[in-house]
Amino acid sequence: MDTAPNPRLPRRGLLALAAASGALTTLPAFTASAAPQRPANSPVSEGSSRHRLWWQAPADEHSMIEQGLPVGNGRLGALVSGDPGRELLLITDATMWTGGLNDTLDADGQFPYGRDDFGSFTLLARLTVALPDHDLSAVHGYRRTLDLAQGLLTTSYTRSGVTYRRRIFASRPDDVIVLHFTQSGGGHYTGTVVLEGTHGEDAAVSFGAALPNGLRYGAAVTTYGHGGRVTVSGSRIDFAGCRELTVVVSGGTDYAPDAAKGYRDPSLDPHRLARTKVRDAAAHSADTLLRTHVADYHDLFGRMDLSLGTSSAEQRSLDTWERLRARARDGVPDPELEAAYLHFGRYLMISGSRGSLPLALQGLWLDGNDPDWMGDYHTDINVQMNYWMADRTGLSPCFDALTDYCLAQLPSWTDTTRRLFNDPRNRYRNSTGRNAGWTVAISTNPHGGGGWWWHPAGNAWLCATLWEHYEYTGSREHLKKIYPLLKGACEFWEARLLTTTLPGTSKEVLIADSDWSPEHGPLDAKGITYAQELVWALFGSYCTAAAELRTDTGYAATVAALRRKLYLPRVSETTGWLEEWMSPDNLGETTHRHLSPLVGLFPGDRIRPDGSTPPDIVAGATALLTARGMESFGWANAWRSLCWARLKHAENAYQLVVDNLRPSTAGSNGTAPNLFDIYEAERGRGIFQIDANFGTPAAMAEMLLYSRPGHIELLPALPDAWAASGFVTGVAARGGFEVDLRWRDGRPTEVRIHSVGGRTTTVAYGEVSRTVTLRPGASVTLRDLAR
Amino acid sequence: MRSSSYSALPARTLRAVVVLALAAGVTAAVPTARADTTAPPAATTSTEVAAKPYMGWTSWTMQSSKYPGLNPKGDYSYLSEANVLKQTDAMAAKLKKFGYEYVNIDAGWWMDWSWKPRFDRYGRQQADPERFPSGMKAVADRIHAKGLKAGIYLPVGLEKGAYGDGKTPIWNAEGCTTGDIVHDDLRTTNGWDSAYKIDFSNPCAQKYIDSQARLFADWGYDFLKLDGVGPGSFKSGDNYDNVADVAAWQKAIATAGRPIHLELSWSLDHGHVEDWKKYSNGWRIDTDVECYCNTLVSWENSVDDRWDDAPAWTDHAGPGGWNDLDSLNVGNGEMDGLTKAERQSYATLWAIAKSPLFTGDDLTRLDSYGLKLLTDREVIAINQSGAPPAEPVTASDPQQVWAAKNPNGTYTVALFNLSDAPAAVTANWSTLGFKGKASVRDVWNKENLGSYSDKITQALPAHGSRLFTVTPRGTDLAWTAYEAEAGTLSGNASVADCSACSDGRKVGNLYTGGKVSVNDVVVPKAGIYQIKVAYVSGDSRSVLVSADGGGATSHKFASTGDWATVNSVHVPVKLRAGTNTITFDSGTGYAPDIDRIDVPKSS
Repeated sequence: MDTAPNPRLPRRGLLALAAASGALTTLPAFTASAAPQRPANSPVSEGSSRHRLWWQAPADEHSMIEQGLPVGNGRLGALVSGDPGRELLLITDATMWTGGLNDTLDADGQFPYGRDDFGSFTLLARLTVALPDHDLSAVHGYRRTLDLAQGLLTTSYTRSGVTYRRRIFASRPDDVIVLHFTQSGGGHYTGTVVLEGTHGEDAAVSFGAALPNGLRYGAAVTTYGHGGRVTVSGSRIDFAGCRELTVVVSGGTDYAPDAAKGYRDPSLDPHRLARTKVRDAAAHSADTLLRTHVADYHDLFGRMDLSLGTSSAEQRSLDTWERLRARARDGVPDPELEAAYLHFGRYLMISGSRGSLPLALQGLWLDGNDPDWMGDYHTDINVQMNYWMADRTGLSPCFDALTDYCLAQLPSWTDTTRRLFNDPRNRYRNSTGRNAGWTVAISTNPHGGGGWWWHPAGNAWLCATLWEHYEYTGSREHLKKIYPLLKGACEFWEARLLTTTLPGTSKEVLIADSDWSPEHGPLDAKGITYAQELVWALFGSYCTAAAELRTDTGYAATVAALRRKLYLPRVSETTGWLEEWMSPDNLGETTHRHLSPLVGLFPGDRIRPDGSTPPDIVAGATALLTARGMESFGWANAWRSLCWARLKHAENAYQLVVDNLRPSTAGSNGTAPNLFDIYEAERGRGIFQIDANFGTPAAMAEMLLYSRPGHIELLPALPDAWAASGFVTGVAARGGFEVDLRWRDGRPTEVRIHSVGGRTTTVAYGEVSRTVTLRPGASVTLRDLAR
Repeated sequence: MRSSSYSALPARTLRAVVVLALAAGVTAAVPTARADTTAPPAATTSTEVAAKPYMGWTSWTMQSSKYPGLNPKGDYSYLSEANVLKQTDAMAAKLKKFGYEYVNIDAGWWMDWSWKPRFDRYGRQQADPERFPSGMKAVADRIHAKGLKAGIYLPVGLEKGAYGDGKTPIWNAEGCTTGDIVHDDLRTTNGWDSAYKIDFSNPCAQKYIDSQARLFADWGYDFLKLDGVGPGSFKSGDNYDNVADVAAWQKAIATAGRPIHLELSWSLDHGHVEDWKKYSNGWRIDTDVECYCNTLVSWENSVDDRWDDAPAWTDHAGPGGWNDLDSLNVGNGEMDGLTKAERQSYATLWAIAKSPLFTGDDLTRLDSYGLKLLTDREVIAINQSGAPPAEPVTASDPQQVWAAKNPNGTYTVALFNLSDAPAAVTANWSTLGFKGKASVRDVWNKENLGSYSDKITQALPAHGSRLFTVTPRGTDLAWTAYEAEAGTLSGNASVADCSACSDGRKVGNLYTGGKVSVNDVVVPKAGIYQIKVAYVSGDSRSVLVSADGGGATSHKFASTGDWATVNSVHVPVKLRAGTNTITFDSGTGYAPDIDRIDVPKSS
């Protein structure tokens, strides 16, 4: 079952040696930027109703995490209440983190995990626009809309015969959030704008301060109107009698993705920069700012589209929340809602993952300064899941934030591993006494620090995710960037692996040292399947990378030899399941949320139901997945769905998607009114975890298209609900291709394969297979696969 | 007497503790000399008592609160002559012209600052000279001088402090002493057990009540709140059955020479509603609205109880006797401890349920929004009109709609969002019994919204509301009735006799899996239908409603008060064209009994 490094990946010419060491030149997240390119004509349109979500009630201050609508420019984000009388924006910058390197271990050799030491993602500011005459109880016909195709929130309502409308968006080109208030019918706006910090700062039209960890930050707001008066009154902005009003806000920190500088850019003054940004943006009309934003946003959004079928007029007549409820109540598929859910995940990714830190547990969005699990980067499924959908849904550029993060953290991770991993108190230390390379804790922050427990295999899983992006894009630049991460992880495992002889044989194998299969069972199991699978994948990726980059030939041979000796899991004779702990016994929770021992099925590729994997392994994996059950939540459902999709069990895969679309009420598992995924941590208390918002779309995409380098499979797990007709365009396939696909009656009618660097691939549907060979940039359309 | 730990007790318990403490400490009340008179005073008014829900102010709300500065001389010390007169002046200046007239003195007028009671030589409560230095009559006179009416308060029963070893003589009752009017075993009564139960088999007992009523009439009081009355006041059983006390009070008032409105408190037993209607002018359906905390009230403790508890009482309200939802504390947001939305909802429910409208706010500190809520003439007119009280037309779910049909053919319609987050709420005209268009006036916002077809949907804030007057411009809906007992029963479900039910039967025993499916429900076209469900439920219960084997939705049905009374609400079901089956499933709990359903002939 070992396969040679894949030779089909594109080669784009020779590469300089040691490419990666010089790649670390990423700019700070919040920085002065060149004047935006402004589109000549207006791309703003009404758009398609397929891409619009709408609601008949706003959020309020206490329901922001379930009802607030997210906006973001990839770095700067906000949750928006849409409350007519009191518009509230909870503003975030992805880098607004407390804590630090956190390199003093606790007595058990593990990491502290508090908001001061490890740190926490926190709010940057709160912006309120109070309109006392527009109290929700006094307005009529309230409606707010999220246009996923344009990245635009619109709120409208009437009061005394006047129709009021506000548009809110986060612009990447102008690096600001804009609130544009208009009306028709002779109305006006009177009220106040207040910008406040959330860390004890006084309210002010702009402010700058520093967190205890030295991170400096700042924010600024400006307001301009037509008609009426706008005046700065001390800490707030008053406006009166304005026919139209524009509020522009920005802010950021002096965070820099550079370990050598302690993750700070001392030359950056966030307060001053925020003021400059809002002043520069305010030189343009709100319409100009909007057009600029939409053009930028749509560049990404428009790369992919899909239809899963047609919804009924009755379904279309319902607002998004009613529609979710009807979907769950009636059990009737709502293909347009389901497709919109996928696009909502794309909206979150475009809004939350560009040019700054990657998406954490809550992405870019918070409703307070105490997010559960610090709103951090969890490396034992969550951050990986956040990025599974990027390439699968046409958003490869959004992946870069994860790559850049790992690269920026690597010096710290390496240093910390070298100094601390073999601490005698660390139960996971290398019993070989050797230590090399890098690994991470289960939680990571942006300051180079880890939190909670060591996570030896975390390095391999991060690498697997980074590697998959390479398989999708074939980007040599990306490969060069990630090479040091791959190599350092290999060095770690080279030092860590233990040689053992399998009982009853003379066969020597390499196994992982004592570890915890996330997040159940024994804390000190050797050879856990999770580690074996991930290291096996890591070693394979590394060998391919070294060959592609024509570097480290000798070390690659060493790693290849290690890989040949790696133990791979067998099927328990007791349970019939693929083993999780190198033991025939079930040492954990049968229906545990994590599918760690199935990483070889998804996201890995080692276990394939196509005959290339021994049938008993596929059967053992299937039995384990079955035993884990269908009753889980959020990300755990999404992972299950992805595994069932890989096993071509369309209806199970679909059921788990549908389960995640169940409306969350009173904190129950499911989808909140704003489509955020909610995990019921305890009865009545739901926690927003964004991973399912990305994992579920990834599963939907995986049901429509499976790929690995050299092989593309169409509609591997198409559920009946979507079978009648549909299409998907602009999805990446591993091996360096993009695919547009149409189907009818459950069968593909037309597929266009476009090379973005890939040369040759098979394209299969059921038993039918074609081999396609293309020059980079060329395309071919196949219409006979279903026959 | 108090400790900080009391703050953790439920409000009612807290109040009981205090009253008990005061009752226990008193044995030697010194009567003050006073000119007795046997001649009743002339009646000062001939207006029929409680023809409409009364309007006014009560002292208890501020007495019960820990809001800073209200009770500087100890708990409940807000009650004083000076404060009552201050509120009287404020009411006369700000609220009188809108119909507010009663100034009601609540518990403690006969207590000193440490809550020790004072009685006259006939065992009757006597004004504490520090609280009311001018005496109760002078206060009533001052209230009357402002053109307002005066209210006073008593706990039910013979207060322990009035007993005086049984030797205290009863005024104007030759040979009667307090020992004659209680039971030999000195069994106690009322919500705090602060009084001995009165034995009305002894004629001296009526004399004692007569003597109290006469005193109040002499002083000039127009209103009496009789508190701690059972069954109710969290008490049941023979010792706490105060129906005879209430009847005696009605009788005493009739001969006292002055009309006195008799209001009963608190959480009166619904099973005795006919007694309350017979003998009194109003009855508190629920526990105190006050929170006994740092504000006057709070939403959860216990304003929001009323939406669930009022429906069972709706049919019993009318001229002469009203369902009392307790004081309406919406006049000052900061003191009230409520959001603007909560205050509007509070005022809306009280108005449409035709509860008495008496506030416990500090009338000298009403904020502008509070004044607007308390003095909205349209809202007051809805409360005081001859139309029946509103009741829920939907299930008692977090988003719910209440309505009443007015004599002029319009509807008073209130939308409520009782959830903790904003939500859209829809009033479907079919739940009012018509279809097509209707014009809508937003009562609070003074805005005619124009014409709406079939329904109106509005965004409501958390705990928010809308109050509409809806004028139908469409046509009446036609309905098809289906008896539940003709359906398919499963689990524990069984058919039971029910004299109030249509066809005299219903489906009961709908618990833990019991369900009834109403078959062959025919509609001409697919859609969401608001079906009218006639049900019986002695308490508030939920049921899972589904159609044609589809997913079920849980709906909460308000109590009908007992297991013999039928009420109806509407629930939405999605039906297909042709024949359908509608199922009511108890799931894992207990569901209401189902009498029948009516299905509109068009959606």
